[in-house]
Amino acid sequence: MGNYDHLIVERHGPVGWLINDRPDQLNAMNARMRDEFADAWKELDADPAVRVIVHTGNGRAFQTGVDVSEIASDGVGMQRYRQSMEDFDVHFTAWHQEVWKPVITAVNGICAGGGFHWVADADIVICASDSQFFDPHVSIGQVVSIEAIGLMRKIPVEAVMRMAFVGRHERMSAPRAYELGMVSEVVDPPEQLRERAQALGETIARNSPAALAATKRALMGALELGLTDACKAGAGELVSLWGHPDQAEGPAAWAEKRDPDWVPPT
Amino acid sequence: MTDPKSRVSGRDGSHEPRRFVTLDVWRDGHVGWLVFDRPDRGNAMDATMLAELEAAWRELDADPEVRVIVNTGNGPAFQTGLDVAQLAQDREALREQSRRTRRAELKLTAWHNQVWKPVVAAVNGTCAGGGLHFVADADVVIAVGDATFLDPHVSIGQVSAYEVIGLARKSPMEAVVRMAFTGRHERLTAERARQLGVLSEVVDPAALRDRAAELAGLIARNSPAAMAATKRALWGALEVGLTEACRRGAQELMGMWGHPDQAEGPAAWAERREPRWATTTT
Repeated sequence: MGNYDHLIVERHGPVGWLINDRPDQLNAMNARMRDEFADAWKELDADPAVRVIVHTGNGRAFQTGVDVSEIASDGVGMQRYRQSMEDFDVHFTAWHQEVWKPVITAVNGICAGGGFHWVADADIVICASDSQFFDPHVSIGQVVSIEAIGLMRKIPVEAVMRMAFVGRHERMSAPRAYELGMVSEVVDPPEQLRERAQALGETIARNSPAALAATKRALMGALELGLTDACKAGAGELVSLWGHPDQAEGPAAWAEKRDPDWVPPT
Repeated sequence: MTDPKSRVSGRDGSHEPRRFVTLDVWRDGHVGWLVFDRPDRGNAMDATMLAELEAAWRELDADPEVRVIVNTGNGPAFQTGLDVAQLAQDREALREQSRRTRRAELKLTAWHNQVWKPVVAAVNGTCAGGGLHFVADADVVIAVGDATFLDPHVSIGQVSAYEVIGLARKSPMEAVVRMAFTGRHERLTAERARQLGVLSEVVDPAALRDRAAELAGLIARNSPAAMAATKRALWGALEVGLTEACRRGAQELMGMWGHPDQAEGPAAWAERREPRWATTTT
């Protein structure tokens, strides 16, 4: 089990929690935290007791992207990430780490710049009512690409382009994020965010882990292909579960009016 | 080429000498304006406008003082597509347009002309048929409250393709297909378009140009080089699968590493002053 300086990993029932914990730096990601993400996602993914993962932050920010003060002061700057970017070999989100368990991002405040990686790469996003979303990359001379590319596959493109180009000079509110479908739920009062995320996680955890994983592979895979090819690949995922014990257990439990006893995730 | 020393504004009526017949084109500070100007014809595109659009986008793109481009229209309509009646009288122009359409070589919009500066569409009224090109291909879209959107192609026996394909990649598809299939018999309102994320802001008609100028002014405060690379990354992402798009996006991202703006941005932030960005050349 990992030892983390900048993350907290917890388990509550079937729900694994991954909590950004650099509140004084608005949870900005330094090199150490970046490495810890890679381990923490794998740890929760490998734990068969964890069926759903919630990702949130401590303090008034959810995530504010790369730690610019580290970049500015350590003499290495962005160059430390050159090789991983050249190969697009990055490991800080669940998608990067090929986690096929459902991931809920619970945005607890400011989500800025690189923070959008965990909005774009989550399956479900909810946020506290006082959350604010903005992308200051171009205001400090940086390019926005990977997180916005992911986001614009999932929500209307205009909203993504507007955030990308207005930079730090405008913020999107939680209600607008809800209207656009960037988040599916705004939790008010904000203090109830974690309670709500846990409840949502427990609800999802009642479903077949194997079916959830195959569904996630099919739907995320669809973002890679044209429609017909995506459906063909999706049909492969669908058929792969035929004969799985969960496919008998599900209807049996339904008929017997009891909770299903699913095969644990592998 | 716009004379950088002359501050010309269309809003106060002090136009510089007209260089285009069907468009108003000028620069105000860092904001370039491209305004459809056939108000008595719903700003429909005739042969002259088709030629002038390409020239105007290229002029604004080539002007290093222009960092953001606003696209709007004079009169009650924003854009109502091809002026089919006029084009039918000009056989040569019609032939040229048909050839370009067939070969997917249209030069109507900023995207067609590979303009990598941010483009704000300020929809001032009706946007119909081919007018939707300019919404689909803009980066940011705002509109007046009584603007309406419709696609009458199928009501006159024409197929709707390019503009609807573009829109369907950028916004919920049902709304786009509904517009394509209801043709001239139904209109999408500005407020519904805002809810759907086709556009991000609905403004009072009297305030549209001021608001567009203000928004473009905010965008113009950001690094021109970073915005161009961002635009290439994000529009390029519409062409390929997610992982491949991210790979290519990473190249755009690294393309800026070492650029002077990447030192200037944080320095200006620390010193609480406006950044002095490098001038871009395209």
